[in-house]
Amino acid sequence: MSTITAQTTQVYQVFIKASPEEIWEAITTPEFTHKYFFGSHVTVTPERFTGLDGEGNDLVLGGVSEYEPPHRLVHEWRSLYDPEAASEAASRVSWEIEDKDGFCLVTVTHDRLEDSPKTAENVAGGWTFVLSGLKTLLETGKPLTG
Amino acid sequence: MDDDQVFKALADPTRRHLLDRLFERDGRTLTELESELEMTRFGVMKHLRVLEDAGLVVPRREGREKLHFLNPVPIRLIHDRWIDKYTEHRVAALADLKHELEESA
Repeated sequence: MSTITAQTTQVYQVFIKASPEEIWEAITTPEFTHKYFFGSHVTVTPERFTGLDGEGNDLVLGGVSEYEPPHRLVHEWRSLYDPEAASEAASRVSWEIEDKDGFCLVTVTHDRLEDSPKTAENVAGGWTFVLSGLKTLLETGKPLTG
Repeated sequence: MDDDQVFKALADPTRRHLLDRLFERDGRTLTELESELEMTRFGVMKHLRVLEDAGLVVPRREGREKLHFLNPVPIRLIHDRWIDKYTEHRVAALADLKHELEESA
């Protein structure tokens, strides 16, 4: 991906056989997120999105602007896990969880990346891995290996 | 978004070309995509529809425009399900062979 300028709006989507409540829990509680979100322990309150590593160091931080369990979550994203990206402007991540006949369609939109090129580059492969890991975890109970 | 639809969507050079165009620059309109292909607007629409049904392209409205975004997650899932599985065995078989040859040497 290095030869291509990373996109300033990125959209990722996956169908998951689980209820909206299960998906909401899996994206907002550290017991779940550390199994598929690059080991990060994520806590979400109506005010803040906090991702920490196993030792409590900040990985991702941001204010929450929309908090509507179990269907919609919008928060800022500051990439503190990467020293070069940490100083960049905050970007925005929106999660949408829609019911579709026994499945849920989960859409992650990462935008407002115009002033955050490093972040744009390093989340480009990352979200694909996170969403496929989330699907595997919820459908099989096992974290994705490899 | 089942595997059949993803394989079917990928089994066409025009559709793979559309995905490559979106990989280079994401969030494009039908008009922009059409201008790079020797094909009618209707033809491009039909191909985009197949890609959307497979979940490989996600349309989003922005103002008056409909933008098309590449969604790589289904390709990742195909990779996890169909590629990892077989390549892992190949690698393991080679590792075993190396081990056996070195043992007997």
